[in-house]
Amino acid sequence: MTRLFEITVPDDLRVRACAGEEGARQAIYAAVAPATFSLIRRIVGQTSAAEDVFQDTMMILFERLPEFRREAPLGAWLRQIAVSRCLMHLRSPWRRVRLCLEGGDGEGALASTLVTAALPPELIDVERALAALPATARAVLWMYEVEGYSHAEIAEAFGRSVSFSKSQLARAHVKLRAWLEPQGSRPTCLLS
Amino acid sequence: MPLELEHEPVVARLLRELPAGGASPYDFGEFQRRARMPPAGAARMASARALVATAVIAVAVCATATRLGPVERPLPPHPATAAVQPGEETVSRNEDVYMERWLSSLPREPALVHVGTRSAVETLEDDIAQVDDLVSAARAGRTPAAGVQPLLAERAQLVNSLVQVRYAETLADASR
Repeated sequence: MTRLFEITVPDDLRVRACAGEEGARQAIYAAVAPATFSLIRRIVGQTSAAEDVFQDTMMILFERLPEFRREAPLGAWLRQIAVSRCLMHLRSPWRRVRLCLEGGDGEGALASTLVTAALPPELIDVERALAALPATARAVLWMYEVEGYSHAEIAEAFGRSVSFSKSQLARAHVKLRAWLEPQGSRPTCLLS
Repeated sequence: MPLELEHEPVVARLLRELPAGGASPYDFGEFQRRARMPPAGAARMASARALVATAVIAVAVCATATRLGPVERPLPPHPATAAVQPGEETVSRNEDVYMERWLSSLPREPALVHVGTRSAVETLEDDIAQVDDLVSAARAGRTPAAGVQPLLAERAQLVNSLVQVRYAETLADASR
């Protein structure tokens, strides 16, 4: 399956979409929407929130399409927009207030919202473990391990230090390890 | 520990094997329909604001009522003060009265607030990671041991604080 940052669209299609041609816009939407939504859902977690972020992202895509300078594949440019919108959502004070009102951090409930049908069992476990992570740790883990961002790039995206990125990644791995390891082989003296 | 050494590449590989595509949440027609509507986020945010404002006001009212206790009647005027002609009230007497009223309004027991440790733990872990970076940078730059020593001392203090927080967590869990 092609990752979002690898997706390209033909130039003439892009030009026609910029000119407002409906069919061209529809074709671009069909090309990038699945991978875009997949990325956003993995970072944001909740499907309903991911749909809002996805809608914003796609609207920005079509608004700013004339500004695209073809220095990278369109998917890579769109990925920047999507990640930026996701992080804005995670930083949103309203999201934090909602989580406080709901009690707890609400992350544990995310696993059930993910579509895990038709996946091998080991990937279902990973999907669930990923969904059970705190949102920030999940975003850092995904950006570093899958999207190929460096710690410096993640730190810049979050407006934090490189150490923040490293510690979040380490924390995510510790939690994933605890989740994925068989019960019998877990260490008996874990601090976390 | 081979398990730890192998864990990260294995997890990274599994994460990359997760499907990158799948289905769009909705088709282009639905996208356009939503694009013409006022932003869903704005509507949700407006209702969230109303909810939060209501919750904050309710909490504030409850907290004020709890702290102040039942509404008090105004204190009767002190005979000495009552006898004084208007305009000749002594300021010190009024201050005494208000001070007594304020003291009687204070709760007998201090308010207890339970605060989660998650924020403290994350801050300490971030700080430790930052000090680790500085230590690594100092060692890579061949800084004399005397220069690294304060960083190591700082790290030891941070780790000690983290252990204390974790210990407090464990005690709190055990007492529940």
